[in-house]
This record gives sequence, structure tokens and C-alpha cells, in this order.
Amino acid sequence: MWIWQAFTGLLLLVLLALHMIFNHFVVEGGLRTYRDVVAYLSHPLVFAWEIALLIVVTAHALMGVRAILLDLGIRPATDRWLKRGLTLLALGIIGYGMWLSWLIRSRGL
Amino acid sequence: MTTEPRWKRARGWMDLRGRREGGLAFLLMRLTGIGLVIYLFLHLYVLRLLAQGPEAWDAFIATAKSPLFLMLDGILILGLLYHAFNGVRVTLLGLGIGVPLQARLFWGVMVLTLLLTGVAVYAIFALTG
Repeated sequence: MWIWQAFTGLLLLVLLALHMIFNHFVVEGGLRTYRDVVAYLSHPLVFAWEIALLIVVTAHALMGVRAILLDLGIRPATDRWLKRGLTLLALGIIGYGMWLSWLIRSRGL
Repeated sequence: MTTEPRWKRARGWMDLRGRREGGLAFLLMRLTGIGLVIYLFLHLYVLRLLAQGPEAWDAFIATAKSPLFLMLDGILILGLLYHAFNGVRVTLLGLGIGVPLQARLFWGVMVLTLLLTGVAVYAIFALTG
């Protein structure tokens, strides 16, 4: 559990640093317009990078939520439901993110 | 496991008395973590505007360049950098590296966080200004 939090966290250092730099710090005006976002996501490497970030950041965030709730002393039975709930939520978030990215990307192809 | 009510245990990690750097680092990690989870949800929710087309997105971009938004970006980066640097510290400590230095590492995390936040805030206002 702890080691997964650390592992995804270290991945995020790289995934998120480049996400921030490419989406904001090397962009004229600091924020991409609609047209720029579409062009940006059409690049296959960028697309793969953003999807990787989506998956890793979702896992890291929801494992963090569970760690906090475990510290609050939830019962093992509650934790079993919590794990199911968070897994479903993660799949929902990742599915939504992939759908949205694919939609935007398809508009530039 | 204690028999204290849950809200008292929850309050436990907010209580800094006698805990010094390690406790403060842990509390800040929790608070920034909660803030970042909330931000992640907001971020993904706002991105839905992209699906609605250029007008919706570009109108949001114009709002996002207001000074208030940019200041909130600064707060986000402050929390993000702390969480990232302290995450490296916690990982090292967890692997048994630098344990006697943990308090000094915490202050190193604070200095790095504030320095880089300063640079980022300057860059944000320079880019959008």
C-alpha cells in the first residue's frame, strides 16, 4: 500500500512536471485555446502521456483518500466496500478522461 | 486500536502539540493531499467544456486569466510542490534513507517549495500579463 503510493507519486513527478510545462509554461499566454488543445492532443506521444497521467494520478489520489479513511479507523468490512467503491470511481474517472481525450483528439484528425 | 470516538481520532492528526517537524510535515501532507484531490475533480470537470466546443472552452480560458484565478493557481502550485517534495522526503525516509536528518529534510522541502512557488508565480503572471 505505502510502496504503491510512493511508486505512483514518483511517476507523477515526471508525468505532472511535463504536463504542467507543456500545457502552460511553454504556451503563449499560459493557457491553450480550443484549437491549440485539439492540435496538441492529436500528437500520439502527447495523447499517450496524458492518458498515462490520467491513470496514475487517479490511482494515487484515490489510494490517498483510502489511506486517510483507514487512519480514521474504519472497520475492515467498511474498507471492503470502500475498496470496491473507489475502484468503480477510478474506472469512471479514467473512462471519462479517455472518452474526453479521444473525442478532442478525433476533432483534429 | 483505541476506543476513542472517530472524530477524536480524526482530530488527532490535526493536533501538533509535541510533534514538531515530523507532525507538521504529516499534517501538511494530508491537507495538501485533500486539496489536490478536490482540485483534480474540479480540473476534470472543467475539461468537459472542451467537448462543448471552442466557444465554451475559450470563454473559460478568458476567465482563467483573471488575477483571482491566477492567484488560485499560485496556491495550487504551492500545495502541489509541497506535496511533491515532501513525498520524496517521505519515500526516502520510508526506505530508511536519511532518517536522522528528517527534520532538516523537512525544512529543505519548505525552502524548495517556497523558492519554486515564487518562480512559478512570477512565470504565471509574466506569461499571462
